[in-house]
Amino acid sequence: MIPAFHTIAATLAADASPTGTVWLPPAASTLAGNVDAMFNAINYICYFFFAVIVVAMVYFVVKYRMRKGQAFRSDAPLHHLPLETTWGAVPLLIVIGIFYVGFRDYLNMSTPPKNAYVVQVTAQKWAWNFKYPTGATSDDLYVPAGRPVQLTMRASDVLHSCFIPDFRVKKDLVPGRYSYLWFQADEPTPSGQGHHLFCTEYCGTGHSNMNRKVYVLPEADFDKWLTEQGQWLDKIPEEELFFRAGPKIYARCQQCHALDGTKGIGPSWKGIWARTHGGEGSDQKFADGSSYASLIGPGKKYATPEDYLRNSILNPGSELVSGYGNAMPSFKGQLNDKAIDAVIGMMQHMDDFDPKTGKYLKEAPVAPKVSMK
Amino acid sequence: MTTIDASRPIDLASRPDNYLTHTRGFMSWALTLDHKRIGVMYMVAVLVSFFVGGVFALLVRTELLTPGQTIPGVTADVYNQLFTLHGAIMVFLVIIPSIPAALGNFVLPIMLGAKDVAFPRLNLGSFYLWLFGAAFTLVSLAMGGFDTGWTFYTPYSTTTTAGGVIPVLFGVFILGFSSIFTGMNFVVTVHKLRPPGMTWFRMPLFLWALYSTALIQVLATPVLAITLMLLVVERTINIGIFDPSMGGDPVLFQHFFWFYSHPAVYIMILPAMGIISELISVHAHRHIFGYKFIALSSIAIAIFSFLVWGHHMFASGQSPLLNTLFSLISFSVAIPSAVKVFNWLTTLYKGNISLTTPMMYALSFLVLFTIGGLTGIHLATLNTDVHLHDTYFVVAHFHYVMMGSALIGMIGGLHHWWPKMTGKMYSERTGTAACIIIFIGFNVTFFTQFFLGSQGMPRRYYDYQPEFQVYHVISTIGSYIMASGFLLTAYCLITSLFSGKKAAANPWGGGSLEWQCASPPPHDNFATQPSVGDCYDFRALKWDEATQGYEIDPALAAEAAKHPLH
Repeated sequence: MIPAFHTIAATLAADASPTGTVWLPPAASTLAGNVDAMFNAINYICYFFFAVIVVAMVYFVVKYRMRKGQAFRSDAPLHHLPLETTWGAVPLLIVIGIFYVGFRDYLNMSTPPKNAYVVQVTAQKWAWNFKYPTGATSDDLYVPAGRPVQLTMRASDVLHSCFIPDFRVKKDLVPGRYSYLWFQADEPTPSGQGHHLFCTEYCGTGHSNMNRKVYVLPEADFDKWLTEQGQWLDKIPEEELFFRAGPKIYARCQQCHALDGTKGIGPSWKGIWARTHGGEGSDQKFADGSSYASLIGPGKKYATPEDYLRNSILNPGSELVSGYGNAMPSFKGQLNDKAIDAVIGMMQHMDDFDPKTGKYLKEAPVAPKVSMK
Repeated sequence: MTTIDASRPIDLASRPDNYLTHTRGFMSWALTLDHKRIGVMYMVAVLVSFFVGGVFALLVRTELLTPGQTIPGVTADVYNQLFTLHGAIMVFLVIIPSIPAALGNFVLPIMLGAKDVAFPRLNLGSFYLWLFGAAFTLVSLAMGGFDTGWTFYTPYSTTTTAGGVIPVLFGVFILGFSSIFTGMNFVVTVHKLRPPGMTWFRMPLFLWALYSTALIQVLATPVLAITLMLLVVERTINIGIFDPSMGGDPVLFQHFFWFYSHPAVYIMILPAMGIISELISVHAHRHIFGYKFIALSSIAIAIFSFLVWGHHMFASGQSPLLNTLFSLISFSVAIPSAVKVFNWLTTLYKGNISLTTPMMYALSFLVLFTIGGLTGIHLATLNTDVHLHDTYFVVAHFHYVMMGSALIGMIGGLHHWWPKMTGKMYSERTGTAACIIIFIGFNVTFFTQFFLGSQGMPRRYYDYQPEFQVYHVISTIGSYIMASGFLLTAYCLITSLFSGKKAAANPWGGGSLEWQCASPPPHDNFATQPSVGDCYDFRALKWDEATQGYEIDPALAAEAAKHPLH
């Protein structure tokens, strides 16, 4: 019985399609073949039983339909032990077979190879952060082709789940625990086209926008990308930081902080410079009754506005603007000092940015050598 | 050994007094201890909730017509509240009480030949608890609603800023007790109030299903109550059972939650299976095939239901060993389910089939439950579930089981016992047409979602990738078709109250005891203890054109008595 299942599975594995089928998206990892074979095998079993049941049902209904008032026939069998045992036992055997094949493959899926390339993943409302062994980080996931990749994942607020449909992998990210998944993608993605990466554990307002792309690069390109990715911020001169790095980093903030004054999950950045510098809006209150003016200034809790802004990024819960919840995760360890300088610089020059898109308006920004994407 | 004793006085139908006219006035309903009136009140309450939950479903589907915002004002936060409300209302206020508390309350004592359930006051108490639970849900909405999903997963549910989480938790807690009261009542009633001669294996199969359901209600619901209380405590005084930032474990919550909520799936589907056993046998006028296997498979499903909760958590980080065990045990549910489906199918073989509206619903159930059950295989299998978990494939699967099976079974049962409950016949043509529209709309809505899910569309998404839009549009159109079918059903049933023909005592040709008392039944159900035979032996029944119902024909009864079936 079991070898037969292997043979069938092997035949069906050929069904896994790199372009996708009506049922399944493109099969783009080495794990996808077995999953698709299993899925298709179960489908065929379902088609068979569905056809048997519906055909028998329709046939009986047509053949044994009765006119009102007609005398009842009563020659039907009441029970039939061998028959009833059979249709209990046959499905049992089939599902045991399915269980076994699915279980074998699942063990493979849940055991990352020892030589896997490890990427640290942190998920928080509503962003992904991918950190590579070199210390470089990115918002989209970049992986080398032809090599097993292990994601070591954790969540910093609520449950999230990492789902890459084209790879057929999924695993929850649980705060307070590490979880793992692995895959190997052999085919590099064509330039500009990545695989979807979705959050599949409901996590609130931005859940459905918490999706990113996975880019598979040939090994050499990947190494080159990684080197550049680790240095992209270093290469930007201090004075250009706010308009070259600011908007890119802001891409992670825009889910909650608008630039045009709209109230989001968090306060808009519009006018933030004035508020923190004793200008318009500095009388705005915090949840504990204090105001910007009473907290910021020489001799006060925050000696300079920059102190306050920096603290709001690293310890977001410590001052809550009145009317907003404690929703922001800490960016400690994710943004270094230079990145924080870029964000503060952007806040200072808010008028130079398009309030809808966050694009720098003053001059066409120098094309950055390396894109974050 | 015939069903019905031909010498039985049959003039009950001519008695002017019935349970609806027995006493009058608001208080006679509000304080009634009559199981039939309580059943009717439950039915009205459940159908009103179904309407509200359905409106939320249509809003969700309409919002999903386009990626991003479709309906002005429905932001991501509003959408999250809409799908949460849809789920919570449909599960806790509609499907769980629908068959046991509404139809079961009405039918169970009559099927037993009893005057009422064992504890009539507890029964009324159960209804008032339901009302309190529903009221708490309304309070929750007034306090800012809740956006946790009906599953209340931590730590999201303990940290969300939505203001109505605690009231709705209390509401579900109270609804749980309502469910436990009904369950206890039914267990005792079935044990103690069976009439002489009705052995366990002579009970109608609907009673076996209600009995199995009641066992699950009594054993599993307390776990939900404890879990929800822990959640309330966690949210109010930060005790740290589930939230890892206080040393808790969020996966523990999932274990607690599914330890109730998986059995709850069977609280929903088992009674519907019981109804289908009645519907198919009565409307095919043919002895149910394999009575014992169907009866025992209900008990088997009740037992298995407690052992498979972990299959909701294959991607949660639960250990691979546990995942493996839960996958294996989950497959065992296939056996009793397959036995039931094939036995129902064989009950059609050499039957005398009337394609009445209830029968149309029973056939719909067979098709939809087959699809719902078969797609369960994809989800119980470990490697395919990893891909399908938390996608629309799961949404489609459980709608086929919870709506296509449990709810369609309920609506079929409602049509089956409607003449008994109201004394009126509805238009068969309209009823059948509505059933077909619902069947088509349902499949257009939910079969499409299998493709969405296996293509990778995650569930609970407000916004989505443009390539999924065509499926969403089809699915939404299907939901409108389905909604029009339900509106037609409502029209069909409501107009029958005013202009329907008077129902005979036995309009379909049923053999169980409820068809022996008048339509609607008198206050005491039976003037004398009815005699009990094989409730699936229809040989003595003959269509009577004058009463538009089936009557016992003495000649046929005598002939049947000479040839016992067993």
